[in-house]
Amino acid sequence: MAERRKYKKRYCKYCEAKVDFMDYKDVGALRFSLSERYKIMPRRLTGNCKRHQDMISTVIKRARAAALVPYTVTRKTVVTAPFENLK
Amino acid sequence: MRNYENLVIVKPTLTAEEIQASISAIEEVITSNGGEIAARDAMGMRKLAYQLGKNERGYFHVIYYSAAPSAISEIERRFRINEDLLRFVTIKYDTNREVAAWNQLVQKANKKASAPAAEAKTEDVEVATEATETVAEVAEASAE
Repeated sequence: MAERRKYKKRYCKYCEAKVDFMDYKDVGALRFSLSERYKIMPRRLTGNCKRHQDMISTVIKRARAAALVPYTVTRKTVVTAPFENLK
Repeated sequence: MRNYENLVIVKPTLTAEEIQASISAIEEVITSNGGEIAARDAMGMRKLAYQLGKNERGYFHVIYYSAAPSAISEIERRFRINEDLLRFVTIKYDTNREVAAWNQLVQKANKKASAPAAEAKTEDVEVATEATETVAEVAEASAE
């Protein structure tokens, strides 16, 4: 139960903003669905709907291929100020 | 004809003129394969999220174009041969929604290219003066 309370189940923020298309170059907008270690946040924590979760996952994968977002953050490649260059 | 977008990352070790030359060569590859360039967006030198062949930085350039689907394999083949490129990403805009988004992106890129042209010039001048100042400082330091 304690874990459940940590993240409240929410509505889909993308549906509320009526997002039809996401641009993989706009990295600041991807931040919401990325964890501190740049993993894709699961739907149960963000509250995204299925449609927008599918969109965001392809967009994040594109941004990873374009070296805009890291694939992994390990202890060796830790970023001192994450999201500092994501503007 | 279908709408596409290509992001290319050019090596940061090249000089500014060489980067421009390689970008025009890239655009030449697209146009020679029957592509029509709609807009281009220079994102400039950026820090890479991870190393690409020991490089920490890269020059990002985005080209929006429409081309025949059969031309893409040839364009990508030519990009793979090109040693100035660290990475390229080709995105297809196929569905109606994506095409609308593509049109918006093209408009945005064109606006960005036309509007801050004057600003960019002044910035260039500032950068140039700064560069000369730093050069002068370096010269002073070496003289001491």
